[in-house]
Amino acid sequence: MNRSLVIVMGALALCVTLFGGSYLAGQRLCQVCVVEPPGGLGWLQKAFHLSVAETARIQKLHNNYLAQCSVTCRMVADKKQEVATALNGTTSLNPLVEQKLAELADCRAHCESQMLQYFTEVSQNMPPAQGRRYLAEMQKFALGLPEGSQQSVSEPAGQ
Amino acid sequence: MHHPGDGQKPPPPIESVKENMNPDDTKLSALLRQGRVSPTLPPRFQENVWRRIEDAEAPVLSAPGLSWLDALAALVLRPRFALLTAAALVVAGALLGARAGNLAANQAAHAQYLTAVAPPVMR
Repeated sequence: MNRSLVIVMGALALCVTLFGGSYLAGQRLCQVCVVEPPGGLGWLQKAFHLSVAETARIQKLHNNYLAQCSVTCRMVADKKQEVATALNGTTSLNPLVEQKLAELADCRAHCESQMLQYFTEVSQNMPPAQGRRYLAEMQKFALGLPEGSQQSVSEPAGQ
Repeated sequence: MHHPGDGQKPPPPIESVKENMNPDDTKLSALLRQGRVSPTLPPRFQENVWRRIEDAEAPVLSAPGLSWLDALAALVLRPRFALLTAAALVVAGALLGARAGNLAANQAAHAQYLTAVAPPVMR
C-alpha cells in the first residue's frame, strides 16, 4: 500500500477521533453542568427571561398547583379504575359504565380547568410579552394542539 | 630515458638521491605541503549528496496522479500544521458538543416542566 495513502488515512482517522471525542466530552460536560434539579423552574426562568422575584412568585404558584394536581391525578386514576371495574365482563355500555365515564370526564375537565387556571396565573406573574407567549404555548399544549410549540418556547425568536 | 651525449644533464646517482632524502628536512617538507593540491568543494555539497541518496532510495511513483496525495501526506506530517489542525478540531468539537449538550439539557428541562404540570395520567 502506498505510504502517502496510509499517512493520509491515518491522519483522517485521527481527525475523526479527535473531533468525535471532544464533541462527546463537551456534550456530556454541558449536560452534567446544566442539568436541573426536579421541581426547579430554571427552564422557565431561562426561556421567559424571568427575574428572581418573578421566579419566586411563580415557584409558589407552582408548588400550590402541584399539590392540587396530585389530588386531581389521584381522583382521575380512581375514576379510571371504577370505569374499568364497571366494564369488567360486560359487552355493552350499561348505565353504570356511562355514569362512571361521565364522572371521569368531569374529573378530567376539572383537571384541565385547574391547569389552565395555573397557566393563566403564571403568565400574569411574567412580563406582559413573555406572559402572552407563555400562555399561548401552554394553551396549545393543554389542548393537545400540534407540537412545535416546545421548540418555539425553548428558542424564542427576537428575544 | 637519458642517453649520454643528448645535451641533458644526467640524473644524480642513486646514492646521492638517498643522501638528500632526509625526513627532517623542513624546507623540503614545506615545499611538499605547498605543492599538494586541495580542491574546493562546490556549495552545499554535503546536502546535495544526501538528497541524491534519499532520491535514490525513495520508491518510484508508478502513477503520476499520486503526486497530490504525496503533497497532502507531506503537509500532514508537518508538525505545525498537524498541531494547529488538532487544536482546531478539539476546539470545534468541544464547542459544538457543548452547544448540542446545552440544547439537549434545555429540551429535557422543558419536557420535565410539562410532565410536572400535566402528568400523563391526566391526559
